[in-house]
Amino acid sequence: MNLMALEAATAGNAFTELLGGIAPEGTPTWALWLGAAGAGVGILVAFVSLVAMFSVWLERKVSAHIQCRYGPMYAGGWHGWAQTLADGVKLLLKEDMIPLGADKPLFMLAPALVLGAIFGALVALPLAPGFFFADVNMGLFLILAFSSLTTIGVVMAGWASNSKWSLYGAMREAAQVVAYEVPLGVSLFVPLMVAGTFSLTEASAAQAGWFGMHWFIFQNPFMLPAFIIFFIAALAETKRAPFDLPEAESELVAGFMTEYSGIRWSFFFMEEYAAMFLMSAVGVVFFFGGYHSPLTALFPEEATTGLLYQLVCAGTLIVKSFVGVFVMMWLRWTLPRLRIDQVMSMGYKYLTPLALVCVLGAAIWETIFA
Amino acid sequence: MSSTITAREYFQNVWDSLATTLAGMKITGKYLMQKPITVQYPDERLPIPERYRGIHYLEQEKCINCLACARACPIDCIEMDAIRHGKELEWVLFTLDYQKCMFCELCVYPCPKDCIHMGTEFAFVSYDRSEFNHDLLSYKGMSREARIRKREADIKKAEKEAAKAAAAAEKAAAEASESESPEEPAS
Repeated sequence: MNLMALEAATAGNAFTELLGGIAPEGTPTWALWLGAAGAGVGILVAFVSLVAMFSVWLERKVSAHIQCRYGPMYAGGWHGWAQTLADGVKLLLKEDMIPLGADKPLFMLAPALVLGAIFGALVALPLAPGFFFADVNMGLFLILAFSSLTTIGVVMAGWASNSKWSLYGAMREAAQVVAYEVPLGVSLFVPLMVAGTFSLTEASAAQAGWFGMHWFIFQNPFMLPAFIIFFIAALAETKRAPFDLPEAESELVAGFMTEYSGIRWSFFFMEEYAAMFLMSAVGVVFFFGGYHSPLTALFPEEATTGLLYQLVCAGTLIVKSFVGVFVMMWLRWTLPRLRIDQVMSMGYKYLTPLALVCVLGAAIWETIFA
Repeated sequence: MSSTITAREYFQNVWDSLATTLAGMKITGKYLMQKPITVQYPDERLPIPERYRGIHYLEQEKCINCLACARACPIDCIEMDAIRHGKELEWVLFTLDYQKCMFCELCVYPCPKDCIHMGTEFAFVSYDRSEFNHDLLSYKGMSREARIRKREADIKKAEKEAAKAAAAAEKAAAEASESESPEEPAS
């Protein structure tokens, strides 16, 4: 991508327009673009931190209530909402440990790479019709590519730690992601065939209307199995139980992040929750109507450019995505961890062929009925 | 693990995995909706049985410093001392060493005045061991009532003594006059 293409991609972007309005006359476009990028990075970091903070709190609450406990109740006053904040401060103050035999540069690079990949993937996610960082026309492809880049970071962490637990965790992660990338991508072909575009912005816009009327999940009988396959593969992709073999705290201490502590460890943690949010947001955009809901359908046509509409859209997408995150947590506290051979056989023998069958069926359906 | 399975088994596996996952989620979902059974301990507490043997409490006004409880204690963890002023007691100490106490309740039974009891308080946390040598006294020295009673008793005693002295003086005077009077006619 050259600078021109980048400028074109960020043309409709709210930041460049906003900065263009404020900046003095004659400011070169590259300066505007840099400013927009800086603001975007700041917002992304804040967004990912907030999502991770809320998700960790939600996870603790969901796990606690499934076990008939209360979970955190004191920090911050209302149902321990500030518990994650307190933990974050604790993690920041912890000693930064690097094992003696570790490959120091790789060890330090790995968490940054993992978190950076998630930032990269979130760039293509439109929260509202006018709120996105870049309208990438191959958005889904970009997201999948970036989210598999986290695997490189994980393998890097496992190898650089110079520990057998870490290495086992990293190898499992590599095997698992190779097995589940395929059904994840293939199951997404089904909504792609209905949408006819890789762009998340266009796919979201195509599902406007009253509740569920134009949601992709109801467009085609092969959408529901495709969604189930996508969801299972997304669980494996984000290393969530029952596919948390790379972490496997009962066998591998903490898997690939055994040797990490303090803020580097919390980067992996933030990545996990940001990836969960990202995966359910992708599921929402391609199966459950993106940012459309009965609430957004209430807005008249001329009001759809207003700030309020954008905020309602963003809120809708975030709430829908957190429903997906909640189901992931629910599953985590329901199912025991699979064995590695079960994970492999599920990926290769069940999900991949079934996803291919779904694609075939959806293709035939679309040719005949659409 | 057989490596080959029939098509029927294959779809049975797919169905089973989905059905069992949903069944499990139904169960955990039910627990999720249920009210937690945890008690938020320092704020609320479970009811404690009436005959629970916790930290002792002493009805100090009733106690007569008879040492029956201290003698009954199998590990000698009760130590008591009081100065007796007539009928009233001036308390010096009544300590129970909870590093030793095994909460056997044997100190409660021999008490003639029924003034030492096992309470329901169980949380006894301290930063220093010496604090476990717990003082059961609610006040040191004498109680206000005892002081009043003692003063009244003292006044009564003084009056009595004064009366006695007066009577003695009278008697002495009478004796003196008696001994004088027979002398008078003699002189």
